[in-house]
Amino acid sequence: MKRWLFLAVASFLQAAEPLPLVELPKGQTFLVFQPHHDDHTTDYGMGGLIARLVDEGWKGWFLRASNDEKDGAASYGVNDQVNLRESQAAGKVLGMEGVYSMSWRNDYMDSIPLLELREQLIVLIRKHRPDVVLGHDPWAHYDRNPDHRKVARALAEATWMSGLANVHPEHVALGLRPHRVPVLFLKARWDYGRGHEANVAVSLTAEQVRRKAIAYQTHRNVYASPAMGASICKQLEAEGLTATELDGLSDGDAAVRIEEWYMDWISRKVGAANGAKYAEIYYRVAEFDHLPGLKSYLEKSQLKK
Amino acid sequence: MKIFLLFATVCLWNQSVLVVTADASDYVLCAGGTLAKLASGGAQITLVRVTNDDKDSVNLLPEETANRVRQESEAAAKELGIAKVIHLGYRAGELGGVSPTELRDRIMFYVRLTKPDVMFIPNPYAEYVEVLDRHYTGMAAEEARRTATMPNHQPAHAIAGLSPHIVKELYYYSAPVDPRRREPEGPAQFVPQPVVRDIAGTFTRKLRAAQALTTINQAMAAAIHRRLEDTGRRLPLFDRGLTESAVAKLVEENVRGLAALCAKDTQFRQAEEFHHAGPDYQVPLRYSGAAKR
Repeated sequence: MKRWLFLAVASFLQAAEPLPLVELPKGQTFLVFQPHHDDHTTDYGMGGLIARLVDEGWKGWFLRASNDEKDGAASYGVNDQVNLRESQAAGKVLGMEGVYSMSWRNDYMDSIPLLELREQLIVLIRKHRPDVVLGHDPWAHYDRNPDHRKVARALAEATWMSGLANVHPEHVALGLRPHRVPVLFLKARWDYGRGHEANVAVSLTAEQVRRKAIAYQTHRNVYASPAMGASICKQLEAEGLTATELDGLSDGDAAVRIEEWYMDWISRKVGAANGAKYAEIYYRVAEFDHLPGLKSYLEKSQLKK
Repeated sequence: MKIFLLFATVCLWNQSVLVVTADASDYVLCAGGTLAKLASGGAQITLVRVTNDDKDSVNLLPEETANRVRQESEAAAKELGIAKVIHLGYRAGELGGVSPTELRDRIMFYVRLTKPDVMFIPNPYAEYVEVLDRHYTGMAAEEARRTATMPNHQPAHAIAGLSPHIVKELYYYSAPVDPRRREPEGPAQFVPQPVVRDIAGTFTRKLRAAQALTTINQAMAAAIHRRLEDTGRRLPLFDRGLTESAVAKLVEENVRGLAALCAKDTQFRQAEEFHHAGPDYQVPLRYSGAAKR
């Protein structure tokens, strides 16, 4: 299965035109809005960009909207607690300041009022006043995960509506000031149809990719399981192949090593397709993209104070 | 030629157009020039404005904002030659919590009442349009066009004398932010096609309509000003403050910018972009071919 995924991703990346490698916008604070404990460390984006933002002096917080109770082989309560702990640990590896868990019921988000979820995001935006928000692309197609879709839709509105004083004026009464998020970096699987088509690439260093890989396999409740390591070693053996780097490793250590290779491979592959050693790709919404008629006028006419 | 023009004018004179908009500014900025052109030709245009725009203002409470924008949206519609404005009054930014069926049926009522030949609706499939009220409104309006044809949808309408109605033509409008908006997604028989309409003749009326929305425009100017200030930048236009004339000039730049963007790579100087479902839409080829013969 993983081999097919490799091939699909590889063929997609080879076919794509190189994207512009962009500099990070000016700023100091970012928020990551995701439904799940591990969404900030996936192979298709976030972990590398988070590590780079932190390396360049930004402070970031992660929002886990669901309780992840279904993710893992344990019971609901145990999955929830273990996944949260691992999410906090992964956030530390990347250098984030902390994790907010909204703990909505995993994969049962349909019943959550969208406006209530949106308000939770608005509160965090007004508290932290981020210059950048990272999250799933609300306009991506064929995302079968209902939590991805729900949180992305809440993000789509929260990031601009938080700038309007008449949206939840009670927040303003508590001392939170309106704040519109100027820049978004949105991710989705590249191979899920034409909805999400990245428009920028962000280059990464080897060290940032290394932290991304560690953060990813910190989620031991769901990734890098000894069973996965054993299964891959068994398959290699069945096909008459050997990987000397795995010799003498326990199944658990082999699994970790394989996950690290995968993250290095995919980050290198994306980098090569876009003119960098390592990279991640995103749909970036820039500060005045919502005003298409004024964007070029504002770029031409604005002056430094 | 003269006879053709006379015929076309007579046809347009009786044309009924229904415009559905989520908010006061969207249809003006995306379709205002085209609507003004239709109105000049004698079309009777009705506007259904779904939300009350109560959130977007500077230092005004939601109630006051809603009242002002209502008046300003009527002034804007008048500039475009729109005959009647219906305000549904939903709270802005909250359509995500409204039943899509309820919204659809409210729009369907006006489809049956005004019996339009043409509808203009927000394109719910346009990507990266951050105001999701426009998406919800577009979905509801698209569905309303379909259900309005079926007597078993809201049969009570028949008691009130409203009969089912088929809308022959549909234009989807949206702000030009979707990077792939000009790529046809399929053949015209199945998928509305991207089209560009010339608005050079009605640009001034569109601009006046946009400038009439002063509450929303002031909020837009203030948000831009704040963003630039917060990041150590300034716009010389605002050096004397957010005056009425500075805001009007900003709106002019916006409307001009939009018209130029939509006219890019076309023969027009100023234009608007749509997706258009015309007479061939959803008509099997064997029938549309026969009709053409």
